[in-house]
Amino acid sequence: MPKHIQRLIFLFIAFGALALTARYYFKDKSFYEFGHYRGDSVVEIARDKPKYKGTAYCQSCHAPQFAEWSKGVHNSADIGKIVKCEVCHGPGGGRDPESGYMHAATGPDHPKDLKLIVPTDTRKLCPLCHEKLEARPAAQAQIVIDEHAGTQQCTLCHNPHSPKTLVGSIVPLLHPGNPATGKSKAAACLGCHGAVGISQGLPGPTLAGQNPAYLAEKLGEYKAGKRNNPIMNPMAAGLSPGDMEDLGAYFSGLKCEVAPDALNQASAGIKAKAAICANCHGTNGVATSRSWPNLAGQSKDYLVTALKAYKAGERTNIVMSPLAKDLSDADMENLAAHYANAVCK
Amino acid sequence: MDEKKDLDKGQCGRRDFLSRLGCAVAGGATALAAGVALAPEGQAAVAAKPNAPKIPGYDWGNHHYAFGVDATKCIGCLRCVEACKTENEVAGDAHHFRTWVERYAHVEGEDKVRIDSQADPVNIAASDSEGQYRFANRYKDVKVDKAFFVPKLCNHCTHPACVQVCPTGATYKTKDGFVVIDHTYCIGCQYCVQACPYGARFFNPVTRVTDKCTWCYHRVTKGLQPACVEVCPVGARIFGDLNDKQSSISQFVANNRVAVLKPETGNAPNVFYVGIDKDVE
Repeated sequence: MPKHIQRLIFLFIAFGALALTARYYFKDKSFYEFGHYRGDSVVEIARDKPKYKGTAYCQSCHAPQFAEWSKGVHNSADIGKIVKCEVCHGPGGGRDPESGYMHAATGPDHPKDLKLIVPTDTRKLCPLCHEKLEARPAAQAQIVIDEHAGTQQCTLCHNPHSPKTLVGSIVPLLHPGNPATGKSKAAACLGCHGAVGISQGLPGPTLAGQNPAYLAEKLGEYKAGKRNNPIMNPMAAGLSPGDMEDLGAYFSGLKCEVAPDALNQASAGIKAKAAICANCHGTNGVATSRSWPNLAGQSKDYLVTALKAYKAGERTNIVMSPLAKDLSDADMENLAAHYANAVCK
Repeated sequence: MDEKKDLDKGQCGRRDFLSRLGCAVAGGATALAAGVALAPEGQAAVAAKPNAPKIPGYDWGNHHYAFGVDATKCIGCLRCVEACKTENEVAGDAHHFRTWVERYAHVEGEDKVRIDSQADPVNIAASDSEGQYRFANRYKDVKVDKAFFVPKLCNHCTHPACVQVCPTGATYKTKDGFVVIDHTYCIGCQYCVQACPYGARFFNPVTRVTDKCTWCYHRVTKGLQPACVEVCPVGARIFGDLNDKQSSISQFVANNRVAVLKPETGNAPNVFYVGIDKDVE
């Protein structure tokens, strides 16, 4: 055999031997274990920690909210629509803060810092699913948010855990005012709202026993010019937010009992109409949320004035304005009488 | 003829050359054979080892997973996209996604369908930030004949082109049906990114390797649903085991006229769609 061929064969063998040696030392031991890949990597990929934990995980600490949700329309297994906790609240499990990704709704981890993040801007969150979009299936409940809610947050009327119920379980959390401080500032109010916050025949509404958050909110609206009244606007102009909370706390703490007027009992027809009001103002006129006013024990004249103002458009509210349009003057009188006679608190 | 004889005498003739070539090939083959003989050393050792990865409480031999997408249900809320980003720690921008949602809109008077995803600049602008996703209400002023959302993700194909082209064995198909990447073996050559007909793979700028949907292998092997399926509020995403005839995916495939994307590529996808039209590929 010629020398150059022998050399070639030797080179082949040498290369082969070198390749095999290199393979022996450098190949991962698990490579080819299951195929042309590193077998250990299967276990490594499977080892990652899940971050989305499921509703049972949330239930263990948040049972009341879970119960509320599980009965509501956001848990409709029959139509296949189940909005689980983590859809809005973000993942329950920890995640690497170094990854650079922060969940829009939740921010930091839960429960690592034992703080469940509640989405604050529901006007941004809820339309993710409920904004009217061309491509959305017709079966999905959809709204044009500006027409449906004005500038209000969704949670003002809807309980996000069970949105069909018009009950906001999440209400603006105000600092509790100081009733004693409120009393010292209330002197100017008493002329119209009564010495103990009960307006018997006086021009202002009864304030005794009213929701403190509602009172403070309305004072803020007068100050900001969102609601107009020739007496109230200048009154509220000089009040600080703290003053408003103090006044709210003072009047809400007063006794609101009035003797029911036996001559003014509501008919069955009026009770049916009042059922609509009950969605927000409560079956007995005691509101279901701190965002809305109690009607029980309110001055009858004031209630009639307010309903007429809504109907005439002098006062506007996204819920009340359309409702008042359907009421006749007689309905208003009867409804007002019904609530004026209801037992407050 | 004389010339040829001279040639035969002085140099290597054809017959001679072939016979010697034969010897060389035989020699080479012997060397190769030695190599092959040594290679099965690995395989012989496998026989002694357990034939499945040691994943606690999970045997990959018992499962055959598949994914279903019901486009008639999808509302385009993009919770799946955000959940996937969080669960898998994908770069928090609006340009790299393991799963995404496309919107198809047939506008009146236009032949071509309009397609956008959450990565479209208009939709990024609507969401206020690159870390949050939302579809802008961009077709409110035109007449739309038909529009729908289509969630997209890796098809975990039965004959994946991406696996075939990988030069390092970094990407592979597991026995239970997942196409995954061994990030420690990936060299970031992106050959697989080009090979995938569905655009399901991308180069992760943070880790400097290729990234893709794993159908949340780390969740599925623990008995959980993939993160996108877990958060889908309308049940538009279905995941399960085809070996279990009662599973939701088996029912979905059995009871619907399902379609796969680009069947002509021969990849044999395992994501089954309902409610899409010819423009979706």
